[in-house]
Order: sequence, then structure tokens, then C-alpha cells
Amino acid sequence: MPFREKSAWGMGLLFLAITIWFIGATQPLNWRSGVAPPPAGPLMAVTLFSIIGSIVIQSILAGSSPREANAPADERERQLLTRASHLSGLVLGAGCISALFHYLVHRSGDTLFHIILLSLLISTVAEYALQIVYFRRGHG
Amino acid sequence: MTRRPPISNRVRFYRLLADGMTQAELGEKVGVTRHTIIAIEQGAYSPSLETAFRIARLFGVGVEDIFGWEG
Repeated sequence: MPFREKSAWGMGLLFLAITIWFIGATQPLNWRSGVAPPPAGPLMAVTLFSIIGSIVIQSILAGSSPREANAPADERERQLLTRASHLSGLVLGAGCISALFHYLVHRSGDTLFHIILLSLLISTVAEYALQIVYFRRGHG
Repeated sequence: MTRRPPISNRVRFYRLLADGMTQAELGEKVGVTRHTIIAIEQGAYSPSLETAFRIARLFGVGVEDIFGWEG
């Protein structure tokens, strides 16, 4: 398995876990009356966790195959990564536009925050998932 | 199901002809990863023009001896 696919698996699973945590932490979501204010403490903790988790995952992977880790992405890998990034950007954009429309109708800043953060998490997971799909089939 | 590029190639043939050069060795010589060479040989990925020329030059043949249009 290519180094970058391993990295996508590691990072994708990390952010999937964070996304599941976020959905659980903000339940029940009531999109009409709004949700509770963002849990600032846990959010800062999970942000720190995501940074430390990313460093640990990348360090372990780089330690297991240092040569591949240091090599720049080649033309095929750059194409795959660009395509995955482009599509995940569309997911983020769709989420942000939905959040803005929701705000225009319901005037709930808390819900706006939650939808945008959830969109960011889903787009990140989608980016890594797309990278895995593209790496497995060989092209973007 | 994704569409495969309509380009055939004889990279594997020329690689084996070159004293059984490995995919990793070929990748290193033309500046791509072993996985990209695998994808090229399987017809799943069409290399850039630059990489196609690098491969052809490495084997001492023309680009059209290695890559062909199937469309």
C-alpha cells in the first residue's frame, strides 16, 4: 500500500472518530429552534487531540517508511490529491451555503457554527475517503 | 466503474527486456513511484508527456513504440 494511502487511512479514521464525537456531543440537534451554544472546552480539547493525533499518526507512518515519507508526491499522486481536495471543497462549500441559508431563515448563530464545523469535518473525512478510493483504483 | 484511458502501452515488455528491470527501478529512473509504474502498466493511468518521453528515452525507443492510441 502506498505511503499516502496509509496516511489517508490514518487521518481519515482520526477525523471520522472526531466527526462521530462531534455529532454525539451536539445531540439532539434541533435545526428549527437552534442548538445549545458550542461546547467551547470540549471543542478546544478535541482540536488539540486532532493536532496531536495527526502528529502521532504521521510520525509512526514516517518512521515505518522514511524514504516514501520524504519523497514528494509524483504526477499521479498530485493529480489524485488535487481531485480529492477539489471534491471535498465542494462538500464544504455546500455545507457553508446551507448554513448561511439556515441562518437567514432561523437567525441562529449557534446552529450556523455547528453546521459549518460539521461541514468542515465531513469534507475532511470525504477528502481522505476519496484519496483512498483514487489510490486503490490507480487514478483520480 | 471508471473509464480507462484509451492508451495502450508496452512498458512492461520493454522493462523486462531491459534485464528485468524492476518497477521500483524504472520509477526511480523516470521520477515516479513504483505504484505509478504499476498503474501505467495496468493501463489504469496515462503518464504525462514528460514521463512518457523519459520512459521512451530510457529504453532507447520512440514514444510511439511504447504508447499507442486505442480510441
